[in-house]
Amino acid sequence: MRLLIVEDDADLSRQLKSAFKDAGYAVDVAKDGEEGHFLGDTEPYDAVILDLGLPLIDGVSVLQKWRADGKDFPVLILTARDQWSEKVAGFDAGADDYLTKPFHVEELMARLRALLRRAAGQTTDTVELGDLLVDNRAARAFIDGMAIKLTSHEFRLLSYMAAHKGRVISRTELVEHIYDQDFDRDSNTIEVFVGRLRKKIGTDRIETVRGLGYRLLDPESEGA
Amino acid sequence: MIFVTLALGLVSRNSSYRSFDEPLEAAVTGLIASVETGEDGVLRLSRELPDPRYQRALSGRYWVIGTATEVVGQDRYFIIPQLSSRSLYGTLLDISNPDYAFLAEQGQEPLRFTTPGPNIDADENLRVIARQVILPNMTTPVVVLAAADRAPVIRSIQNFILTAVTLLLILTMGLIFAVYAQVRIGLRPLFALGKSIADVREGRMASVEGEYPPEIAPLATELNSLISHNKEIVDRAQTHVGNLAHALKTPIAVLRNEAAAAKTTPSRIVTKQTDIMAAQVDHHLRRARAAARGQAIGVRAEMDPVIDGLVRTLPRIYRDKGLKITKTGDPGLIFRGHPRDLEDMVGNLMDNAAKWTSSHIDVTLRKVENGLCRVRIADDGPGLTAADIETALKRGARLDEATPGSGLGLSIVKDLADAYKGSLTFSRSDAGGLQAELHLPIAIDP
Repeated sequence: MRLLIVEDDADLSRQLKSAFKDAGYAVDVAKDGEEGHFLGDTEPYDAVILDLGLPLIDGVSVLQKWRADGKDFPVLILTARDQWSEKVAGFDAGADDYLTKPFHVEELMARLRALLRRAAGQTTDTVELGDLLVDNRAARAFIDGMAIKLTSHEFRLLSYMAAHKGRVISRTELVEHIYDQDFDRDSNTIEVFVGRLRKKIGTDRIETVRGLGYRLLDPESEGA
Repeated sequence: MIFVTLALGLVSRNSSYRSFDEPLEAAVTGLIASVETGEDGVLRLSRELPDPRYQRALSGRYWVIGTATEVVGQDRYFIIPQLSSRSLYGTLLDISNPDYAFLAEQGQEPLRFTTPGPNIDADENLRVIARQVILPNMTTPVVVLAAADRAPVIRSIQNFILTAVTLLLILTMGLIFAVYAQVRIGLRPLFALGKSIADVREGRMASVEGEYPPEIAPLATELNSLISHNKEIVDRAQTHVGNLAHALKTPIAVLRNEAAAAKTTPSRIVTKQTDIMAAQVDHHLRRARAAARGQAIGVRAEMDPVIDGLVRTLPRIYRDKGLKITKTGDPGLIFRGHPRDLEDMVGNLMDNAAKWTSSHIDVTLRKVENGLCRVRIADDGPGLTAADIETALKRGARLDEATPGSGLGLSIVKDLADAYKGSLTFSRSDAGGLQAELHLPIAIDP
């Protein structure tokens, strides 16, 4: 999953980036409204954490522009302002959730997971595909209850595919949702990661659909 | 007016009397000129007075020439007439007077007095002018007096005064009316301004409006400046504290997050202290808002947009709960207070209902008596006992530790309701949950 964090305080954004990366996300950071708006407009994010008090363009305006442009990724507003009128304005602008500072990072993470679950049509933080269990909360995967060792990129790949289980995902889409901006992108590396993942969870779990992409198989729907 | 009337009356009387006395004086002078002693010692007139009225019986004009004699024992003199006018017709004039003793000699001021006349029917009031003169060949002085009925003159003076008084009275009333009308019409803009100010104070209007004449227009402008200046000051004070609080919240969040990661003693201390700082920031921010409550004049808030916003937003906040909120009641009500305070009160109550309810929240808004409205928020959750309610209203208490929230929400609502001289009460809702009733002042049309 790929996140965008738009926050002008450098220390806080560093903390959040580090926390979310540890939790298995690819994270991009913007430090003002203009940069944030641009990134949200041009890159495909799975969710955005948006501070309201931003320089250049304020958070509510950025959100309004995104929604007007048809961007429907879930947005969680993170802000010091806790007045009801500001909450109403934030939700009216198109926010999906609202958290006031100071907050506990665990709460922020839990609420973000809830947004992602909702977007994927899931009800829990864990995705089960037969005996494979992907635990988004702990950022770990298990087979038959036994934990598998995955690198952060491998987990991101598995998590993203599990969220879109049964659907064919193109390489480009995978690239866009697994890597953050800093990563040197080369869509061939995806094949490497898919290969490595297959080795760890089982080759037959990931299907290659020629010319289209990859698919994480859901044993229930496949009737395997 | 009264002074003018009296003055006019006095002047008219004096002038009337003067012109009245002149012919009498002339008559006396004429009599003195024409009286002479005959060979037999009897007085006679060489020439009659020209005025025919002295010949006509009881005409109101009389003359008498005689000697003054003292009445024994009384301080009075009476005249023994030796010659008198035909108009007397045999009657006698009561012309006794103590002042005959001081009758001036010819050439000085004559004696002037009044006495009733002989014509009782005519109710005569005679003006008498008398002189004393010593005739040639006589040793004792004789008194020469002429008298005329003043009654007609008095009546004409009275008529004049009456007419003058009436006219002046009409003039006075006319002037009073004109002044009154002028004041009322002239002051109408001031009355209108006064009403406009009352409207602002009662929350019916946000500023003083209307067209005013150039003398008063600056007053209306200044009042509006004062109102907006007052609002500005209140808002600015809140903004400063708000800005400080918000500026502190991010650094506190950063410190807390940093400390949470490490499990060392310093980081535990940092965590604890940042929690304290966060609580202080919240506390003082709320106190600053409380201090500003009710301070601004003419502040008002339309209730529907505020409540509609909350009805829209709460289901999004509690999305997983599938909240259904209905709002019914009287539309167009205007809260006499700051919109932020209305949001805090209704928002916190609705938030509380959202936390506890199973799925439904009913919000009703009704205008009641005494210039208040009633906002009722009812949920279908487990409800609260009386003891629970009391605990919740006490500052900072939290009923259910598992339900997230700062715990200050309900006590803030109570503080605000009290500050606006309204009220907050709790009871059991029809669905068995909690029902909160908030009474708040609203703007009433006169």
